[in-house]
Amino acid sequence: MPLRTREEFIQSIADLDLQIYMFGEKIDDYVDHPVIRPSLNCIAMTYELAQQPEYQDIMLATSHLTGNKINRFTHIHQSTEDLIKKVKMLRLLGQKTGSCFQRCVGMDALNALWSVTYECDEAKGTDYHERFTRYVQYLQENDLVADGAMTDPKGDRSLPPHQQPDPDVYVHVVERRDDGIVVRGAKAHQTGACNSHEVVVMPTIAMREGDEDFAVSFACPANADGIYYIYGRQSCDTRKLEGNDLDIGNANYGGQEALMVFDDVFIPWEHVFLCGEVEFASPLVERFAGYHRSSYGGCKVGVGDVLIGAASVAAEMNGVAKASHIKDKVVEMTHLNETMFACGIACSAEGVRMPAGNYQIDLLLANITKQNVTRFPYEIARLAEDIAGGLMVTMPSAQDLADEKIGPIVEKYLTGQCDTPTIDRMRILRLVENLTLGTAAVGYRTESMHGAGSPQAQRIMIARQSNLDHKKELAKALAGVGTPWQKEKLKTPAASADA
Amino acid sequence: MSTAARRTVPSGSEDGCGDRTTGPEKVKPPASLSVVYCGGCNPQIDRGAVAAELAGDKASGAAPAGGATAGDGDAGGAAEASATVYLSGCARACASGHRLTSDEPGEVVVAGELVDGRTTPAHDIAATIRQKLKE
Ligand SMILES: Cc1cc2nc3c(=O)[nH]c(=O)nc-3n(C[C@H](O)[C@H](O)[C@H](O)COP(=O)(O)OP(=O)(O)OC[C@H]3O[C@@H](n4cnc5c(N)ncnc54)[C@H](O)[C@@H]3O)c2cc1C
Repeated sequence: MPLRTREEFIQSIADLDLQIYMFGEKIDDYVDHPVIRPSLNCIAMTYELAQQPEYQDIMLATSHLTGNKINRFTHIHQSTEDLIKKVKMLRLLGQKTGSCFQRCVGMDALNALWSVTYECDEAKGTDYHERFTRYVQYLQENDLVADGAMTDPKGDRSLPPHQQPDPDVYVHVVERRDDGIVVRGAKAHQTGACNSHEVVVMPTIAMREGDEDFAVSFACPANADGIYYIYGRQSCDTRKLEGNDLDIGNANYGGQEALMVFDDVFIPWEHVFLCGEVEFASPLVERFAGYHRSSYGGCKVGVGDVLIGAASVAAEMNGVAKASHIKDKVVEMTHLNETMFACGIACSAEGVRMPAGNYQIDLLLANITKQNVTRFPYEIARLAEDIAGGLMVTMPSAQDLADEKIGPIVEKYLTGQCDTPTIDRMRILRLVENLTLGTAAVGYRTESMHGAGSPQAQRIMIARQSNLDHKKELAKALAGVGTPWQKEKLKTPAASADA
Repeated sequence: MSTAARRTVPSGSEDGCGDRTTGPEKVKPPASLSVVYCGGCNPQIDRGAVAAELAGDKASGAAPAGGATAGDGDAGGAAEASATVYLSGCARACASGHRLTSDEPGEVVVAGELVDGRTTPAHDIAATIRQKLKE
């Protein structure tokens, strides 16, 4: 199948007839639901740009399995150049949507599983990699979206999976059959789950003896029997139900998260990629997290570009663009944003070819990237709010602006720099609000904090890979630690000057 | 295998960073095993010690003449003829052009505590290389 168009993609998601619940109701026409549609438009952008020659250098890749041109989101990275292009692609999409465009989680899951299934087969004589290769080819040939499902609800964080009072808080195998397995549990915070054709499930933490039923990785169609979705709320989400674009800030695009429930779902062996090999849960988690942490050095930067632009336009509309402290704040935002990008590029450029033949980011630098991402978007958002002024959160509504009596008053008192129509000033301030504390802030702020692992998860990885012993040796060598002290050569500074 | 930084250096220095007989291309030494070092900016293993152990001169601490070669003693033998060890100090694998394994026979890739992509404690690296070259 050739690359899908945007319209074909949207129709294909509608055809899945997913089981989605929102506000206590089952949503049937989900692709046209005003809360959901902007998130679908975001993934659709990954199809749209792939059709446009001016973006194909980064949107497309050559499959190492078939030699065909494929969407990069289904690609297994074959070089450091591929890793770099991935980061640039994510930045581009962040710029075009100003939102989380959801498709990277699945791509990162595929790349992590590529090497882990290979190494598991080498060590244990299993045949996961062959199955997984067929699965990747299926995704590539059909240009599909895969949701990367790692995070379990986890219950009591101090207990391992097999000691949880309710084992369902981790996805686990409840039955092994000749033809496959049956799984139960849930995955939380699933980005783009209701806009995906497929689900790729991985364990969420390192596992040990006793956790065998929980050390499971598999794929299934998003509409498999027994899967349903409970849609996640986002701050200000019901503004999308008000029928006007002004107060939304970014009316056409948005992110999506859902609680995905596996109510005894059957998975044929062909789509099982790990089942009981507890020692491979840890590398899978680390590698997925590494890829995903590097991805944030692209996507959050693209959204940051939009926010920096919005703050600068707001400054112009407020008549303060030439003030030196405003210019300096824009420079600071840019510096923070480009630092995240530099990290994303660096961990890609320093990537390595794995024994399985694919390329993996440098894990230390990927964790550094994400650690910065847990902080910098917050500071960029703070500066944007500083520049935008308080009106971004106290402005009257679109309904007030539209009102015959109140409208002219709103118009009069919300005027800024005199050439700027008030409605445009309101639009840009709503965009800043959307990104810093509205629906898009889910992706720009809290996802920057917790997505791909909370900050402490990166610090553990950084500590493990920091090569501290080498640093200590460098310091000792320069300071002369351990060398005999030649006391007899001591001179006072004055005496040496005299000499 | 193409490498980003091909250098042949004598082993025996503390971490392989010192005293190089360097050049942009790998110098083929007279002996049967050559070592290609990374630049040594972030060594997690003592590369010089690994090379010295391969050369069989760990006890004397002397670098073998003619560069980082090991054709005699423990590391020697017909099985190792024209073998190459890519010896990187960390997992970035600069010596082997950022590859954790080689597609060529007779080549072993060390990247920090990984030998051909498998975790290997530092003190077992030389023995693991020897074993691989015999296989
Ligand atoms: C917007 C968004 C999108 C996301 N998208 C996806 C997705 O598409 N796919 C996916 O799989 N996941 C996704 N995630 C999940 C993300 O990976 C998790 O949020 C993250 O791993 C943290 O888990 P948690 O939310 O359960 O928080 P918790 O694990 O409860 O963490 C809360 C705090 O407790 C600390 N903590 C947790 N456990 C321990 C412990 N054992 N000991 C000490 N301290 C501990 C943490 O460090 C943190 O400070 C997304 C998250 C967000 C917010």
